[in-house]
Amino acid sequence: MEIPYIVTPRKDTGLINSKIAIWLFLASEVMLFGGFFSAYVYLRMGADYPWPERTLPVLPGLINTFVLIGSSVTVVFAWVALKMREWRKFQIYMGITVACAALFMVLKGVEYNVKLHHQAVRLDDYSVIEGHLGYELKEGADKHHPNPDDYEKNHNGHKIEENMIRVKSEKLTFSVNRFYKSWVEEILSEAKHQNVTYILEEDVEAFTKPASSKSEKRQPKILAKKGTELSVELLQSLKKEYLKARAHNGVIRTEALRSEWVIAKKENPGKRGWEVATGVNIDMDAIGHELLTEVASATFVAEGGAELLFKPRNIQEGETSSRLRDDTVITGKLEESPMVFHNVDAIDFQWLVMKAEEKGISPESAIENSWLMKSNKFVRDAWAWHLKRNESRQKELNDRYGFEEGKNGKETDIPKRVLTHKELYRMGWKDFAKMGEETKNVSVGGVDAFKEEFLGPNYKARGEETFPHLSIPREEIRHAAKFSPAWNTYYAIYFTITGLHGLHVIGGALVLAYYLLFGRKMYLENPEWLTNRVEVGGLFWHFVDLIWIFAFPILYLM
Amino acid sequence: MSAHAASDSGHDHHDDHGDHHNPGWIKKYVFSTDHKTIGIQYGITAMLFLAFGFYLMMVMRWSIAYPHQPLPEWMSFLFTDTWKARWLQDGKVTGETYNMFGAMHGTIMVFLGIVPLGFGAFGNYITPLQIGAVDMAFPKLNMVSYWVYFLGGVTMCASFFMESGAAKSGWTNYSPLAGFADGQIVNQWMAGQTQWLLGLVLLITSSLLGSVNFITTIINLRARGMTWMRLPFFVWAMLVTGFLLLLAFPPLEAAGIMQLMDRVGHSSFFMPSGLFTKTEGLADLSGGGSPLLFQHLFWFLGHPEVYVLLLPAIACVAEIIPVNTRKPLWGYKSMVYSVLILGFLSFIVWAHHMYMTGMGAGVSTFFQTTTVLISIPSVIIITAMLISLWGGSIRFTVPMLWACAFIPMFGIGGLTGLPLAFNLVGLHLHDTYYVIGHFHYVVAPGILFGLFAGVYHWYPKITGRYMNNILGHLHFWPSLVCMNIIFFPMLIQGMSGFHRRWYNGGDAYLEKAADGSNVFGQIVRESIDLNIVMSMGAWALAIAQIPFIINVLLAWKAGRKVESDNPWGGTTLEWSTPTPPGHGNFTYDVAVYRGPYEYSRPDCDKDYFPQWEAPKKRTEEPVIASTKDKEETL
Repeated sequence: MEIPYIVTPRKDTGLINSKIAIWLFLASEVMLFGGFFSAYVYLRMGADYPWPERTLPVLPGLINTFVLIGSSVTVVFAWVALKMREWRKFQIYMGITVACAALFMVLKGVEYNVKLHHQAVRLDDYSVIEGHLGYELKEGADKHHPNPDDYEKNHNGHKIEENMIRVKSEKLTFSVNRFYKSWVEEILSEAKHQNVTYILEEDVEAFTKPASSKSEKRQPKILAKKGTELSVELLQSLKKEYLKARAHNGVIRTEALRSEWVIAKKENPGKRGWEVATGVNIDMDAIGHELLTEVASATFVAEGGAELLFKPRNIQEGETSSRLRDDTVITGKLEESPMVFHNVDAIDFQWLVMKAEEKGISPESAIENSWLMKSNKFVRDAWAWHLKRNESRQKELNDRYGFEEGKNGKETDIPKRVLTHKELYRMGWKDFAKMGEETKNVSVGGVDAFKEEFLGPNYKARGEETFPHLSIPREEIRHAAKFSPAWNTYYAIYFTITGLHGLHVIGGALVLAYYLLFGRKMYLENPEWLTNRVEVGGLFWHFVDLIWIFAFPILYLM
Repeated sequence: MSAHAASDSGHDHHDDHGDHHNPGWIKKYVFSTDHKTIGIQYGITAMLFLAFGFYLMMVMRWSIAYPHQPLPEWMSFLFTDTWKARWLQDGKVTGETYNMFGAMHGTIMVFLGIVPLGFGAFGNYITPLQIGAVDMAFPKLNMVSYWVYFLGGVTMCASFFMESGAAKSGWTNYSPLAGFADGQIVNQWMAGQTQWLLGLVLLITSSLLGSVNFITTIINLRARGMTWMRLPFFVWAMLVTGFLLLLAFPPLEAAGIMQLMDRVGHSSFFMPSGLFTKTEGLADLSGGGSPLLFQHLFWFLGHPEVYVLLLPAIACVAEIIPVNTRKPLWGYKSMVYSVLILGFLSFIVWAHHMYMTGMGAGVSTFFQTTTVLISIPSVIIITAMLISLWGGSIRFTVPMLWACAFIPMFGIGGLTGLPLAFNLVGLHLHDTYYVIGHFHYVVAPGILFGLFAGVYHWYPKITGRYMNNILGHLHFWPSLVCMNIIFFPMLIQGMSGFHRRWYNGGDAYLEKAADGSNVFGQIVRESIDLNIVMSMGAWALAIAQIPFIINVLLAWKAGRKVESDNPWGGTTLEWSTPTPPGHGNFTYDVAVYRGPYEYSRPDCDKDYFPQWEAPKKRTEEPVIASTKDKEETL
């Protein structure tokens, strides 16, 4: 049996199978990316926050655009070379194509890496701060020029980012059913690191066997003795007992309820179930002796307690008692856990102004009254510099474009062009850098300046004079995230579209690389077939390029 | 296939004895690339999923009809005690469990049951045979498509046994509800709600591969002489279905990926600002997303999906009617054009599921108009099938019974949908049992009956044996009655305002019914007894499927053998193959000489003139409207 039209086209359609298939597949891909691009439009139109415009570095994106366009050309050359039966040329052009794909992904990786290490925080008053978080330092260490040994490290030897909730944990109450194993392990090794041992507060007692009759007195079994050290195994064994008891009790209770219903139906002939339902209850007295004890939690204590650190997302913190997402209750004092920026590189009042205008408050007074302006001198100075600069920028605009004409043909004092919201209410890292150059004479040049176009601000070279230190108390924080999908819907759609596009690049490059590396045999046996395959692969590659042509402007330029 | 064989033997030299003509057991039945085997795999898997989905429904119906009463033992024996202790409260179905079963019932029936049965099983088995192809255009892709589907189904159902349980936010999985569900699970990858999304992505991948394969096969692998207007209607329906799957599913995949990001990446695609929940308080999210966006993306698939379900069933019925009436399908061409228009229109009606969202009167009016428009092609198709019966000498074989029942049952389903198309009525009936009644009439006694017809019709070709007639009747008549007992009362309840998500069947509204001030309670009181009627119908329907199961299993080995390769006297190409068809399907050089439904031609000695029979002498051939000029094109 042979499938026809694999190599030679069918006469009336003029197509080989795989070419129809790739066009269909691409149609489907268009719908897929169409879904994402529609989502982009929908989210942007409906955004209830200042949409970040032109926020990504253009240069790497632009380079990537040309890299991808170039590879789309070379893949055609590779196909032509095959058509002309020039294997060597095919190898060269296909090699370039795959190399371009690799370069694209490397640049993409650099870009992602920068984003995912950049912290942003939205304060309670909707002002936004961006920058890099610091790591916890040991007491007495040089804050500005720390040595590698000056950092505090956790039990894994990792530096601790200054964005953790610290709890002096004297008592841990685990949900026996829901505790999350690797969290317990983490707590254990952190406690060990601090020479703290958590021990069981009280004996865990339970009836593990049903009594044969109501009158029989049962002796509870001790599942774990008071003072037993906390361990995953202990919790697991308690969980096993708990599940066993629960299953056993479920059976007994279900049977009891069933027989209650049989009685109820007999006593209320002709009545519907819901009419008598309230009167049907399990007679606990009758089955009590058959039930086992379901021990649902276990409490461990430690003298003094260990200072445990939790990611903000995993804990609902309270002054004296906090709860983890796996229902572990931590009793102990919540310690001060500010979020510490070692380098702030942007202050953004756009959102705060938007909220203020909704309430009819003037932007200026809203900014004046913001927590940032009130609590930080650097910010006040920077903002004063920014206002002054804006004044001169507006003047430049006025000089260049003039003022609107009034009805009588005379000039009014309304300028034709005004600064954008972003220019007015946001100080980005380039503004900080400029301020540093102007007021503090800190500047970088040459390679460092070029590198900044890819990697963002160079904190080391520009120093704390330009990008200051800032500590934010936990209660001022409304929402915080890295520049990740969690930060806002713009970054969410950016990562989703470019991530999916990146997967397509990888997939396409793998297929093309396969033809390059393993196509020789097929080339010798049936060169036309390989040519067809490369053509189909090339079509997909063009599509991948096309997606980028759409993604680049909407994500980088608009 | 020689190409694949060549590359195969190139790779595994140790496997030389198992060449493709005589493959080993695993290659033949498990990882087969033969479209017929894959079709059967799809069929069996889909029917198992249907049975599972049916079971979930029975548990739900128990909770509706007998609230506060523990599940009877015959219904809960499948669960382990631990599972029951987690999900049942003293044996009673809890609201959470009901939601879980409801979400999974819908998902399983739609994505894992009907689509794979209609498109996967029938489409795979019949389409290449009917167009005279040796196999699908991409046999290996076809195999991958099945296994990805299988994996997707397993992924979704495995979550029943996780700590979180399976998905529980409805089969539509609306955000923000679905974004938050199972939020207490630390490892979100192990939450049922996430598993649902992963399973969905796999299913979409499977259907993408399948649809590309189908369309390519139909375009490029038609036999000599199989021109477009000689395609059996079945193939046309599969072509349109393929396009619907190809183009409608990807936006849902986009939505699924975004929801996955919301769950594991903490993004806010579908999460509005200021979301507050009981468990988490003010959500620690950026907000700024749009729940409506999810609904748009979901229903952009959701509505074409209805036709993905429906068209294979219509396709089966359209094949069975001409065979059993011994006359051509009436209005073949208008049916073809209708199905094409139907396919197109199905892409622009989606927001009629969203009248309640407040998306605006203008938008609602547009979708109301297109929705009413789409009823025209559907009615044309159904009418054409109805007229096809007219004046025929109908043979009421078991498949024909199902096909005949399909028409009025689907008719009820379709007509009850018309009021819902109208914005004003839609607002009142939204989310009531009327909606449930409507689409179940379309899917259960409609589509499922059409597919049952297909099973009985093609079983002799697949196995070489007839299914038992008496068991067939025992299956058909009770099913017909029970389906109506279950679904007709839903329309009544719906119109009195019964909400589709009441897990206790509405008894919460009864409490004050007696004191007269609770008007709604009194309305509920009037129709609540129907719950018991419907549930009884459901148990009876379950029993009515037993003859079918016995029939399928027994007839495989013990059924009456077919007398010829063409037991029903059909005209389409699948009846010209050996029974069952071997690898490569046809034993002769296939050529097609005429349209697909040439029955009772006065110039023939038989009452049918198959597509594959060469005309005897051109001079004896009278010019018939539907076949003129066709011989020349050959």
